[in-house]
Amino acid sequence: MNDILKATRLDLALIKPYMKNICFTVAIPVAFAAINRSLITGVSFAMCFIAMTAGYTFSVSEKSGMDRLYGILPVSKTHLVLGRYLYTCSMGLLAFLFSMIVHPIVLKALGTAVWPADICLAAILGIFMFTLYTVFQLPGYYKFGSINGRIFMYIPIVGFLAILLFVSKLNLTSHPAIAALVGNPITAIIATLLVCMIAYLLSITVSIKIIRSKEV
Amino acid sequence: MDNFLEVSNLSKAFPGFQLQNISFYLPKGYIMGLIGPNGSGKTTTIKLILNMLKRDGGEIKIMGLDNISDEKTVKASLGVVFDSNYLCEEWTVTQAEAAVSVFYKNWDKKKFSELIRRFHIAPEKKVKELSKGMQMKLMVACAFSYDAKLLILDEPTSGLDPVSRDELLKILSEYIEDGEHSVLFSTHITADLERAADYITYISYGKLFFTGNKDEFVDMFRIVKGGRNELTLDLSEKLIGIREFSTGFEALIKSEDIKMFSHLDVEPTTIDDIVVFTNQEGDHYE
Repeated sequence: MNDILKATRLDLALIKPYMKNICFTVAIPVAFAAINRSLITGVSFAMCFIAMTAGYTFSVSEKSGMDRLYGILPVSKTHLVLGRYLYTCSMGLLAFLFSMIVHPIVLKALGTAVWPADICLAAILGIFMFTLYTVFQLPGYYKFGSINGRIFMYIPIVGFLAILLFVSKLNLTSHPAIAALVGNPITAIIATLLVCMIAYLLSITVSIKIIRSKEV
Repeated sequence: MDNFLEVSNLSKAFPGFQLQNISFYLPKGYIMGLIGPNGSGKTTTIKLILNMLKRDGGEIKIMGLDNISDEKTVKASLGVVFDSNYLCEEWTVTQAEAAVSVFYKNWDKKKFSELIRRFHIAPEKKVKELSKGMQMKLMVACAFSYDAKLLILDEPTSGLDPVSRDELLKILSEYIEDGEHSVLFSTHITADLERAADYITYISYGKLFFTGNKDEFVDMFRIVKGGRNELTLDLSEKLIGIREFSTGFEALIKSEDIKMFSHLDVEPTTIDDIVVFTNQEGDHYE
């Protein structure tokens, strides 16, 4: 097994005792989607909530003094960081897939029509917001730890409030820029993925730099 | 390759503390005790060996390989036990094995099962439910399950009861029996080393005081005892540390200096005596 996958597996083992909480976190936004009768709101909330759990691995390892375990394992610091990013993105992907499948089903069952434009916009917004939250959170946790850096846990809450106060009240699909995006869904998705990849690349570089300069 | 561990001119500076030019080597098949008072640099030395701290100077070779450029290879054959648990507290023993074993190609599941049975560790118990002694044994079981060639223990006996300490020392003696494994054992409970160690490296205030054979180390010094009137200026100059009482004194002296004072009571020293006398009253002998 590749060292990055080993590190990801270690992170999965860390959050195993908290799996129920995480499942609950992914399930709650179904209610938001149903109440607001909006797929965009539901997916955005789901990605916001799952991003809030990104600090779990940091807090569990900090609580158990596992920095010393990471220091003795035959795996490089770079691979440990990459493993954690892979874990975080995997959790985001699972939450994203769950929301993109379950939310439309629930909305349809409630009699709300879900248009392809909604699906496209929800996907772009969900991926973009999750990326935006986590690219700042992870280097923050690496730099300050989960206790001193708990402020980074609240980054998604800011996003959550932004969705609650502004985005859900706007008719996004009627905005010219958004309409242009929805008009070219493939271009929009590729552009979003490209932006996200660049953002992750920068975030990973910063995290590796932080972890390499850190002494346990 | 005769030496499993070679440390040369190791240096590391922190604000208010400096580890200076530490050099020692540990031959294959032996136990070395790393001793010194609290804050002397034992843990710093171990963390530098593990590349958990960045060295300012010097060189560390483990089984002939550099501990930084060959970090992955080196760590695959290193076992480490710290003074406290480093596994996730919420894991059961079985989950801990599953999480750690993937990192080691030669992890032996059967050996791990045998070891935890031998150490009376229940596999279904959570790490946090184990006593300190049991947690230490679990870390030892992990290290033995991938046949770590060099075992590094950082104050493993601090906080352990005498029975657990005795058990650990027995385990270590068995571990080096085949001549293919070595142990670096940092402790300030020097009684453990009197029993188990072959070599001693004594660090005091960041400087190397002694490194070599344990018996040579103990033999280098003697305890002298005498009445107050016997404490002459000549003698005082030769004494390394002194404890004065209303009736007399006891002090540490180099064995080579004892001939000049053969009229005094002379006793063999222990490692503890040497550490205590050489670090008396915040002063230290170099």
